[in-house]
Amino acid sequence: MDTSLVLQNLLTPPVLFFFLGVLAVLVGSDLEIPAPLPKLFSLYLLLAIGFKGGLELQHSGVGGPVLPTIAAAVAMSLLVPLYSFAVLRLKLDGFNAAAIAATYGSISAVTFITAESFLETQKLHFDGFMVAALALMESPAIVVGLLLVKLAAPKPAQQRPDPQSMRWGAVLHEALLNSSVFLLVGSLVIGFLVAGSSPHSVEKMLPFTDKLFYGVLSFFLLDMGIVAAQRLTDLRRAGTFLIAFSVLMPLFNALVGALIARALGLDPGNALLFVVLCASASYIAVPAAMRMTVPEANPSFYISTALGLTFPFNIIVGIPLYMALVNKLLPAAA
Amino acid sequence: MKRVDLILSERELDAVIKAIEAAGAPGYSVMRHVTGKGPHGAVSEAMDFSGLGANAHVIVFCEPPLLPRLREGIQPLLDYYGGVAYVSEADPL
Repeated sequence: MDTSLVLQNLLTPPVLFFFLGVLAVLVGSDLEIPAPLPKLFSLYLLLAIGFKGGLELQHSGVGGPVLPTIAAAVAMSLLVPLYSFAVLRLKLDGFNAAAIAATYGSISAVTFITAESFLETQKLHFDGFMVAALALMESPAIVVGLLLVKLAAPKPAQQRPDPQSMRWGAVLHEALLNSSVFLLVGSLVIGFLVAGSSPHSVEKMLPFTDKLFYGVLSFFLLDMGIVAAQRLTDLRRAGTFLIAFSVLMPLFNALVGALIARALGLDPGNALLFVVLCASASYIAVPAAMRMTVPEANPSFYISTALGLTFPFNIIVGIPLYMALVNKLLPAAA
Repeated sequence: MKRVDLILSERELDAVIKAIEAAGAPGYSVMRHVTGKGPHGAVSEAMDFSGLGANAHVIVFCEPPLLPRLREGIQPLLDYYGGVAYVSEADPL
């Protein structure tokens, strides 16, 4: 792998601010971001990325690789939880295995956004339709997670005390209408509509969705650094198996993703985003959904693995590593 | 008069409030952003951005005959999701 790619990724404000957050915890600083702000930042990032994706989707249209890429993305979000579950069942009970499998089948929007920033520094083009893939990969894994609980969890799962929360209506509501999916898809649709009908209003939105974006991402990653470092203790408790899983499973998913990107004939920028979607794990939508559908699972397992290890791994080492993989596997990239 | 104190995750607050209202309680108070320590470790606001917020503290004052209906609605939620509820005597000032 080209080490300059890693260095270029490391020496960007979002990644450096992430390290600053980690450092704050490690040295015992009292640095703290008040709770409503990270929520506001995450909503802003979803709105901005959805809106920009919608604008670009309007310009690029839905022909060419768009629909096959989206279909492949959804297929991966169904497939990843299945084989992850099989691996996790080697050491974990059905509840925890299902919750972690769902977490790895879904995606991390912030890792995706960081990968977009990386592509911008590399001056590599990517398309808005990848945001649609991002939005559509969030929910299927939640449904698969619940199916896995129903099918493979130990017997008491059949006699769970609150059948209300296990109703398909409630689960689908949570999977499809949770705030991050709702805002992302809604902003994508608004961007798409506005780009076609009212270009002058796009100009008015740009100072908000474009100029502030990088700064907000850096600030959000500062908070993520703090939260991830606070999770390190939980990670130690999770044990060697889960620690290894948190690094090796994203690498395997990235390899599968890169091969699919090659088969789809994606260009390097879109291929990297596709690989990042496959390799990332959700720590926003899925943990909240798993809390509702699988309260028997230990949240410190599925949050700590996704947020404490996989997320930092992806934004620090993963993105440049996946770029090198894309450059190696895609003929066009070379 | 009885006082019921409930500590539960903010995530299940809506379901518990529904159960309190269905039981016919005359009113209740809710304090959000309650931090501390639970069976899975520290309870903080760190994951608030994901919808997995801190805990909530709900206080209900009611007459004793209401307690069985409150218990019937709330106990299954606490059994399933976790959380605690305690009943104590309350004397008006």
